[in-house]
Amino acid sequence: MRQMKKLLAVALVSLTVLSGCSLPGLSSSSSDGIAITSMTTTESQIVSQMSRLMIEHYSGGEIEPVMINNLGSSTIQHNALLSGDAQVSGVRYTGTELTGVLDKDAESDPEVALEQTQRAFDEEFDMKFYDSYGFDNTYAFMVTRETAEEYDLETTSDLAEYTDEFAVGVDTSWFNRPGDGYPAFQEAYGFAFDNIRAMQISLVYEALNTGSLDLALGYTTDGRIPAYDLVVLEDDLQFFPPYDASPFATHEIIEKYPEIDDALSRLVGTISTETMQDLNYRSDEEGIEPALVAEEFLEEHNYFEGEGE
Amino acid sequence: MNNVTGNLLTDLYNYFVNNFAYLLSLFTDHLLMSIYGVLFAALVGIPIGIFIARYAKLSGVVITIANIIQTIPALAMLSILMLVMGLGTNTVILTVFLYALLPIIKNTYSGITGVDKNITDAGKSMGMTRNQVLRMIELPLALSVIIGGLRIALVVAIGIVAIGSFIGAPTLSDLIIRGTNATDGTVYILAGAIPIALIAIIIDFALRFLERKLDPTYNPDDKTPKAQTVND
Repeated sequence: MRQMKKLLAVALVSLTVLSGCSLPGLSSSSSDGIAITSMTTTESQIVSQMSRLMIEHYSGGEIEPVMINNLGSSTIQHNALLSGDAQVSGVRYTGTELTGVLDKDAESDPEVALEQTQRAFDEEFDMKFYDSYGFDNTYAFMVTRETAEEYDLETTSDLAEYTDEFAVGVDTSWFNRPGDGYPAFQEAYGFAFDNIRAMQISLVYEALNTGSLDLALGYTTDGRIPAYDLVVLEDDLQFFPPYDASPFATHEIIEKYPEIDDALSRLVGTISTETMQDLNYRSDEEGIEPALVAEEFLEEHNYFEGEGE
Repeated sequence: MNNVTGNLLTDLYNYFVNNFAYLLSLFTDHLLMSIYGVLFAALVGIPIGIFIARYAKLSGVVITIANIIQTIPALAMLSILMLVMGLGTNTVILTVFLYALLPIIKNTYSGITGVDKNITDAGKSMGMTRNQVLRMIELPLALSVIIGGLRIALVVAIGIVAIGSFIGAPTLSDLIIRGTNATDGTVYILAGAIPIALIAIIIDFALRFLERKLDPTYNPDDKTPKAQTVND
């Protein structure tokens, strides 16, 4: 029994050592222990890979952050940063953070939302929510170019006249959601659609393209918008909360490594919603991995040297 | 938009060509995580197996514990360990380690206890010490069975590492997850699944070959399958 105990002790010690060390050969083992979180969405992975490449570039290859991919939600990303598993998030959205991690009410003015989010993260968690990359991945109603021209549609309010004509498809989770869901939408815009159905959101773009739907609620950065030449209707009453995307890091890490701060700051304001659509398209439809799309984009822009500072 | 029908093979080929470097890095990560996990399990498991073969009373307890570990679903195990060890590769390696223990301990144990008693007795009567018997008789004769355990452990490990994507480790199932999110993700799913299956098959073949090479009772000219003789 004594030997058993010894064995157990050895096993425990070796496990503890194992949990702390990084093993040779794994690209995922970082010597400096900096990790970037990313979610399952293509967009999140592309942008996170960009921040990884930027950090590598501006630290002269000295910092090689590890990617923690495929996290299910922003809350999980946040917990990873809180527990110290990671120090940087590739992308965070104001709308998600305000109602999620920060547990505040949704805010429809993008600037106020950004300011609130930045202040709350700074005060409550000592983390930095940067200014936006320049794209906003929110919900918006969209139609095909032909429909837009035929009915002369530009804004969401323009839809009021055609509520009985259009076949509408919306996201299942949006349909019954309180706050910014369909019930609240009816109140805000003052009209409801006669023929509306809830469906899987990734299917609506194809359905618009083939004509099964006339009007759909989709994400504004989806790559299929330019691919199918869809027209995004302006949310003229600012009903949908903004989901402006920003880099994110803990204050601790950017104070320790100012080059990380520099690298992430340079990305601010460089990716418009249209650019993001193209990047998503390149990955989702043309089959290029997010890591490679990110590298292409950065090389094309020479890693944004000469800007910032 | 990909042409869905008919062009799947072309798409797959294009995908491999376009993303080869990235795929390769996922491939090595996937393979290395499996190998590390099994390696650590072998470092711990083989001595335990030898130990319980010598002190037969312990064998029941140890194998039962290893069996219990095996019954926990891999995803649950990953999530539990994630709470303690955090996200990333090391948690995946530890999970692989735990699942690899059973086949390694069990095969080491049965390999050594399966050695013909007459042979060990012969060794003892020649004046060999206990360690000499172990080193010169039992281990060489049990080697092929032990390698068999490693082979099973590695194949299991490759499947477990695939789940590691859910806790942020870079594995080939990153591609599969991407495929399930995309509208037409068949290409990505296949691009992830085919290499995973390939690793498993290659390892299985290679180690099976090694296993046969190391089996002293195996005679390539004799086609009839043979079991190692067990006396009792």
